[in-house]
Amino acid sequence: MSYSKHNTLLYVENLSVAYGDKVIIKDINFVEKDVVREGSVTGQVIAFVGRSGRGKSTLFRALTGLVKPTTGKILIADTLTDGGNDAKEVEEGDVGFVDQKYTLFRNKTVYEALLFALRNQKMTKEEKHDKIMSYLSEWGLEKAKDQYPNELSGGQRQRTAIIEQIFCSGHYMVLDEPFSGLDVGNIEDAKNAFNLISSLHSFNTIMYSTHDIELAVELADSIYVIGYPTIDGEHAHYGTIVKHFDMKALNLAWKEFGLGHLEIVKQIKTAMLAS
Amino acid sequence: MKYLVKPFEDVGKNTARMIVIFWIGALLLIWFLTSMGERHLFPSPQQVLTGFVELYNEGLVVHIASSLWLCVIAIFVAIIISLILTYLSTIPVIKPIAIAVSKLRYLPLTGITFYLAILISNARTMQIWVLVTFMSTYLTTSLLSMVNAIGEQEFDHARSLKCNRWEVLWEVVVKGRIDHVIEVIRQNLAIVWMMLVTVESILVAAGGLGFLIKNSDKFMNHGRIIALQIVILTLGLSIDFILSFIRKTFFRYSKI
Ligand SMILES: Nc1ncnc2c1ncn2[C@@H]1O[C@H](COP(=O)(O)OP(=O)(O)OP(=O)(O)O)[C@@H](O)[C@H]1O
Ligand SMILES: [Mg+2]
Repeated sequence: MSYSKHNTLLYVENLSVAYGDKVIIKDINFVEKDVVREGSVTGQVIAFVGRSGRGKSTLFRALTGLVKPTTGKILIADTLTDGGNDAKEVEEGDVGFVDQKYTLFRNKTVYEALLFALRNQKMTKEEKHDKIMSYLSEWGLEKAKDQYPNELSGGQRQRTAIIEQIFCSGHYMVLDEPFSGLDVGNIEDAKNAFNLISSLHSFNTIMYSTHDIELAVELADSIYVIGYPTIDGEHAHYGTIVKHFDMKALNLAWKEFGLGHLEIVKQIKTAMLAS
Repeated sequence: MKYLVKPFEDVGKNTARMIVIFWIGALLLIWFLTSMGERHLFPSPQQVLTGFVELYNEGLVVHIASSLWLCVIAIFVAIIISLILTYLSTIPVIKPIAIAVSKLRYLPLTGITFYLAILISNARTMQIWVLVTFMSTYLTTSLLSMVNAIGEQEFDHARSLKCNRWEVLWEVVVKGRIDHVIEVIRQNLAIVWMMLVTVESILVAAGGLGFLIKNSDKFMNHGRIIALQIVILTLGLSIDFILSFIRKTFFRYSKI
């Protein structure tokens, strides 16, 4: 499948995050560019895998601007200007974030929450209403429209959280373990959601973490393994990128899960166990 | 029958109700039995009833209204003060003030009344401010722990939706926790109610339940005292019930 890389969408250089004296992640460098394929709108789907406690959630908090990097910088494309070639440092609110627990406003119904997410858009009341209703039906949430978070199932909460972020943030979205606690049906829904987001705009970039390596390999076109690096034969106790798989270059992206994918799963597991 | 005395055993709703009825019956029975002879600790139901009628004739309703009004005003002022302190405690410079106010709950009543007495001459105003001072410290303590209990994800969620810090405060802490505020008031109500009656009997003003208690004490009228206790207990429980009812009816999402 032919593709080409265009504007840089995400540029992370020398990133580290420490809580107090404790360095959680360090020496993180990576670049993701806009992938363009003939004949279809293709966003970027980037997976982060790694064993528990290696710093995936911490990296995500940095990527979403919720925690300030201790060193280094994170640049995203300034999509508000035309051409999309300007870069800006990430700030809170630039990158959508759906956390591990699908947190929502506890005092807002699904409809109210989505209306709140649209509060800064220059649209009339009717336009907002129509937009919300069309998303609700597309994502199978019409019946839950007037329910509060504590009256929703895990899957419904997650979808509400995703739509909120689509409404509010630009092209970037980070999802921390979006597949945990979902049944097979919900996982299909979430996968469809990924495809939907990705097909909306070429700049759309989904970053997610998962403990399900198969799902990472199946969905992502770029996979990063976060783990403790081995330096001079010794494990260091901070997370960093220990391996990167560019599924596009490997000619495995946007394809049915096959033998090639299985081989990558194996390699990822080896890399994870060693870190 | 054995399952009735088994720890953690889940008995049905009806059985649970029967157990409650059994205990109420037992209580009444004990009361009757222990108050039958010539010398007894508790007044007989008959005496209590007489006490009740006496109280009513002396204007019990007016006294109740007076106490309730004092309670409402004191809670209202105290909750406003505590809420402002608590909401602003999210700002680093204000935080120590809120914490200090919460620590003041260890101050003794007498010290505070002494200083307030210098400032205020009217007994009624004095009652209000003693109560307000005390309740503010308790309410602030509970409200601060309410804010501390809010998980970081909730703040992050609001921030990821482009809320600035003031909006985060407004959406997550203020609007998102109104039901908790009612619950905090309810949980502190017992202290307030007890304090109120005490304060009324120490700083005698126009009237109120505390004033009635003091009077009854003087006459050593047992029937009256118990009747009054029952009135005070019932009133307190009713306010408790009303607050809980308000929270559940107006805040459907509120499962605390
Ligand atoms: N606020 C904090 N203060 C101090 N240490 C923290 C804080 N948050 C996380 N950590 C530590 O940072 C490390 C990485 O945590 P993080 O949540 O990023 O891991 P993770 O890779 O997301 O794990 P999991 O897969 O279990 O979610 C852990 O050792 C954790 O104890
Ligand atoms: Mg995590």
